[in-house]
Amino acid sequence: MAKLIVNQEKITDIDALIKICPFGAMENKNGILEINASCRMCKLCVRRGPEGAVVYVEDEVVKVDKSKWKGIAVYVDHVEGDIHPVTFELIGKARELADKVNHPVYCLFMGHDIGHRAEELLHYGVDEVFVYDNEMLKDFRIEPYTAVFEDFVNRVKPSVILVGATTIGRSLAPRVAARFKTGLTADCTVLDIKENTDLVQIRPAFGGNIMAQIVTPNNRPQMATVRYKVMTAPERKAEASGRIIHCSIEENRLKSNINVLSVTKKQKEHGISEAEIIVAAGRGIKSEKDMAMIYELADVLGAEVACTRPLIEAGWLDSKRQIGLSGRTVRPKLIITCGISGAVQFTAGMNNSEYIIAINKDEKAPIFKVAHYGIVGDIYEIIPGLIENIKRVKEA
Amino acid sequence: MNYKKVDFNDIEYLISVCGSDRVFYGENINEDYSHDELGGVKRMPEAVVQVLSTEEVSKIMKYAYENNIPVTPRGSGTGLVGASVPIYGGIMIDLSNMNRILELDEENLTLTVEPGVLLMEIAKFVEEHDLFYPPDPGEKTATIGGNINTNAGGMRAVKYGVTRDYVRGLEVVLPNGEVIQVGGKVVKNSSGYSIKDLIVGSEGTLGIVTKAILRLLPLPKKAVSLLIPFKDLESAIETVPKIIKSKSIPTAIEFMQRAAIVAAEEYLGKKFPDNSSDAYLLLTFDGNSREEIEAAYERVAHICLEEGALDVYISDTQERQEAIWSARGAFLEAIKATTTEMDECDVVVPRNKVAEFVKFTHELEDKFNIRIRSFGHAGDGNLHIYVLRDDLDEETWHKKLNDVMKCMYDRARELSGQVSGEHGIGFAKKPYLKESLNEEYINLMRGIKMAFDPKNILNPGKVCQ
Amino acid sequence: MEILVCIKQVPGTTKVEVDPVTGVLKRDGVDSKMNPYDLYAIETALRIREQRGGRVSVITMGPPQASVVIKEAYMMGVDDGILLSDRRFAGSDVLATSYTLSQGIKKVSNPDLIICGKQTTDGDTAQVGPEIAEYLGIPHVANVRKILEIKDSSIVVEMDMPETVEIAEIKYPCLITVEKDIFQPRLPSFKKKLETRDREVKMFTLQDFEDRDEKSYGLNGSPTKVERIFPPEVNNDRRMLKGNPEELRNKITVKLKELRFI
Repeated sequence: MAKLIVNQEKITDIDALIKICPFGAMENKNGILEINASCRMCKLCVRRGPEGAVVYVEDEVVKVDKSKWKGIAVYVDHVEGDIHPVTFELIGKARELADKVNHPVYCLFMGHDIGHRAEELLHYGVDEVFVYDNEMLKDFRIEPYTAVFEDFVNRVKPSVILVGATTIGRSLAPRVAARFKTGLTADCTVLDIKENTDLVQIRPAFGGNIMAQIVTPNNRPQMATVRYKVMTAPERKAEASGRIIHCSIEENRLKSNINVLSVTKKQKEHGISEAEIIVAAGRGIKSEKDMAMIYELADVLGAEVACTRPLIEAGWLDSKRQIGLSGRTVRPKLIITCGISGAVQFTAGMNNSEYIIAINKDEKAPIFKVAHYGIVGDIYEIIPGLIENIKRVKEA
Repeated sequence: MNYKKVDFNDIEYLISVCGSDRVFYGENINEDYSHDELGGVKRMPEAVVQVLSTEEVSKIMKYAYENNIPVTPRGSGTGLVGASVPIYGGIMIDLSNMNRILELDEENLTLTVEPGVLLMEIAKFVEEHDLFYPPDPGEKTATIGGNINTNAGGMRAVKYGVTRDYVRGLEVVLPNGEVIQVGGKVVKNSSGYSIKDLIVGSEGTLGIVTKAILRLLPLPKKAVSLLIPFKDLESAIETVPKIIKSKSIPTAIEFMQRAAIVAAEEYLGKKFPDNSSDAYLLLTFDGNSREEIEAAYERVAHICLEEGALDVYISDTQERQEAIWSARGAFLEAIKATTTEMDECDVVVPRNKVAEFVKFTHELEDKFNIRIRSFGHAGDGNLHIYVLRDDLDEETWHKKLNDVMKCMYDRARELSGQVSGEHGIGFAKKPYLKESLNEEYINLMRGIKMAFDPKNILNPGKVCQ
Repeated sequence: MEILVCIKQVPGTTKVEVDPVTGVLKRDGVDSKMNPYDLYAIETALRIREQRGGRVSVITMGPPQASVVIKEAYMMGVDDGILLSDRRFAGSDVLATSYTLSQGIKKVSNPDLIICGKQTTDGDTAQVGPEIAEYLGIPHVANVRKILEIKDSSIVVEMDMPETVEIAEIKYPCLITVEKDIFQPRLPSFKKKLETRDREVKMFTLQDFEDRDEKSYGLNGSPTKVERIFPPEVNNDRRMLKGNPEELRNKITVKLKELRFI
């Protein structure tokens, strides 16, 4: 039991102490200092108040036996057997963590008709793949998936479980964490492991304005989710290694109050406001037919096409694709501007993009003041070859 | 008018002043320099110089004055009446790179800037110091020099006034190249004619502003907007004089109609918090505490409900403000996107005549069978009315446009209004200005122009000429 | 139909800094507001009520001042509000928060449908919804982007999956978390503010719960510990490259690969 105890006699200036609390959680009730429900347990009053005035006391808690929990497990994220690439990235991370503490790497793969797909995982350096193949696991439904997860954890007792922060992972992992009353840290960007097998988890909060380092010191398993494209996937090895273990679970544990009516491929959403990648064209494009290379570049990157005002006025694109302060402002993860000089009306509409690559002939163009990666060159000489390059990389 | 054409020697001179990197001529001139935001008036300059200092401006002016070459100053080119279009060609002086913030004087609460600093940069800079530059025209990428030259007003004019009220002093290059300082950091000034106030709103015809001392206020800590639905535009706008009479002064009172909201939703691909009503008032209150603002807006909210408002919606967080104001900010572009071409009318009428005027534009819409869209500053009587071409052929369009414009300006005059609230006269609105003012007034203006610019080389053919 | 929406009071801006001396978040002069994502949840609840009738309640955990977000919910049209407030809830992580809310929900109502926002803007974890569902033993669907049908004993929703969209029918009682933009949230109404000025906010403390063991709540009931907080590294890296087209496009390709766009 941890709590704050107030020693009234050690308080010299009650109001000075109250001022220390950033949350307004201390009150002066007729000369008695009281802590109210606004307290966040930040312990600033303990550290900065008069010695002994507020003390933090912690009772002995039962320590978990960490040696009984072994292995780094990865949940295999998939829809109808198609394994989401975040899974391989997590296997890579799991291997790295496991090697530090000499643990095995496990995969948990549940679904229907997935047996042959499990083989693929053996090419990425896992020790054991636990496969639960059952018709009732065909679609993602929360109760049976949680039940299988529970069965796996009880059977294997992994120290750490990594789950991809996909829409499935973000729904499933908290459910499992609550079932085991354990900690789950979402969207970790850095993971490390201490000698005592405590997982060190670093994640952004407050929309990325703050980073927090979080541990789960006295609970097992330790759970974390990680977004796609944060960790690096290992190279696929030609030789398979490790083994597949087929598991079963009583069907009555797979009941669900959810009935999946249909699963359909997501329609690609067209629009620049929410796009993650944008290829933007400007006056550097000499004629309408040359837009073809812009569209092709966008296509190979899975990007949306946007433009500056002159191209709208030329009637080459719909005005909904114009970026500008008074029009649509965008903040994609990546924007590649092609032949855009960077008038302020344009840059003010996109300068919050996470990464800006600008291609322009004129090295004095203002766009280079906002670009992270400024390419001084002719779009006509660069883009066609760039498209070929990207195609090659994607095929490899 | 007989001006000298820019020739090779002139270019050489310009290069000798500014270096070859910042002087453009012939085919190297970017097409943007031939027009402003609305684009109805076009003419390429013969040379463009991107200046960096008062000294450069002074040298170029002196040279142009001696050689009888017309000069047109320009900022971001976001004007709407062709004031920065070089209708006689000549030299264009682009001041947008003179964009340094020179001094923040917290003891006198002034900010000294070069003319090319953008409105949005000023807002951001002073807010970081807990200070406030109140003029808030919708076009945030306009330069302060441009704002000073049109005496722009913006949304907050209801409570805080217009740009002229926030210009303390100017450094000006006269047409003959001489540099003068007008006004200063002083709060009061009764020292003769106020040249400063003449320069403000002169649309680059009397001198070129190369430095400005702006007046600042402490930054109000909070702002809350009210979005108030009404059954129709008339009942919305008729409520405005009652709000003003209540003496709880909002910083802004805007009106908007569903058509503009729907166009903005479509254009931005974002939903507005409410579009179920035909017309809305949008009010903003600022102050230093939630309690202070609440007290002010509650009084107004009650007035609106008494006057038939369907409800009063409160926008008090960043997300809500963005949902509303991003749409408000996109009206112009959104309306533009629904048509092929458009022209605008920026009349200002006494505040209790706004409803009457807007009603009149609806009648014109029917009478001439043409689409007219309006939104604007109900609180200061400044209306932004857009006449849309849609699929009219060139000839019909011009005919109808002229007829509609004439009707609107005539009506504004009958209601004791003025031709322009904040966009200026420039080139496009000259005929309407002439009609609305009597000859003596125009003659006075011409005399002032002559006193500043006897050779008529600075931005000729604008405003009163 | 009984609908319950879980809401939270969060700082008015996410632009917070870490105090380098104390390692505590600086919150001076930071206003608070309702978590913006919760507005979508409230809006969803109100739309369902408009269609099917019933009551919409909100529940929140926080200090006494958090009652202002309940008042705000009233101004949007919510019928009822519950505030769980106790000093012993201090220092709760996701798990303890979820447990406290689930205890509160058990205490006060028996909702057919619980709606949560996608996530909060301070913690960004998106975990509280699913964990409440687990503690209540009811099914949940996260990332709901459309409500397709509201039936007498179930709801049909469209759920966002990594590459697909799943349409699912869930029996009540259940919990859903809704995506941003499922509906445009309405603004608080001044008329409703006048109407609900005297409406009470129900307050509960640990003493009111079924599980009164202090160990389950607050810091004690939180398995995760924050070891430190620190500002993120900023990427101010800017580079200009010149060269022949071949070189340049190869460099862009390498960069795109490095940034994981290809």
